[in-house]
Amino acid sequence: MTTQSAPSGKTVRTVKPLALGRNRFERAAWMFMRYSGLVLIFLALSHFWIQHILIGTQALSQAQTVAFWGAQGNPITIGNLIFRLYYAVMLVLAMVHGLNGTRQVVGDYVHGKQIFMLIMGALTLVVGFLIVFGLFGLLIGAKAN
Amino acid sequence: MSTLVTTITDGLRYKGKQGQWAWVFHRVSGLGIMFFLVLHVFGMSLASFNPAAHEQMLELYKQPVFAIGELFLAACLVYHAINGARIALLELKPEWWANPAKAMRWSIILTLIFLAPTLLIMAGRSIQHFFGAP
Repeated sequence: MTTQSAPSGKTVRTVKPLALGRNRFERAAWMFMRYSGLVLIFLALSHFWIQHILIGTQALSQAQTVAFWGAQGNPITIGNLIFRLYYAVMLVLAMVHGLNGTRQVVGDYVHGKQIFMLIMGALTLVVGFLIVFGLFGLLIGAKAN
Repeated sequence: MSTLVTTITDGLRYKGKQGQWAWVFHRVSGLGIMFFLVLHVFGMSLASFNPAAHEQMLELYKQPVFAIGELFLAACLVYHAINGARIALLELKPEWWANPAKAMRWSIILTLIFLAPTLLIMAGRSIQHFFGAP
């Protein structure tokens, strides 16, 4: 923010606009957080409810995962396909939403550019790997044991 | 690091009322969910590559410490969802800014309405499992 004198003698304040490139990215990130968040409310809460209330943590097993995703080599049912799409959309939205949220929190407390890039670079690699690993797993289906 | 200490000490001194605490809890719950998400996605992906390791991961979730952890996860998830909806709706519909305190009150009430039965069912089931008669 800069202060300058207007011709009338009054002091006016002008805000220096952000560089356009960064501004555009931040605007897109801001919009993404709102819309992905609104979708994730329904996806994540229904997923939590199915796993923790309907099934229960103590009943989880590889067999239950196979029942939802379908087994590798078996023909995929409509139910399997719906679950795989549901998990794939949730996986991508939640991971990117969480990554951007973490970027904002880290950026508020870590001011060194190098250490910020180190933390976020490492987290981006982990998240990128998990998105690819997870999507590939959903694509091929669970291994029957 | 010093910014973090300043944030905590000044955060306690700053009298921002509910809005400030809603912001703090939104960050803490978000980071908590992200931490579990990384663990969870890794564990679930193993179902396609290494079923034995996947089952080991699930056995870990069945331990008592995770039974307590899943209660915190439920609290983080429900709070983050409803407070996030409040933030998104207020920013997409600026005319609703007329009464932000009312929006805040509703988000707290809705969080409690959704969270209370969830926690009771989950805690009840865990108590039954760990302390109930076999």
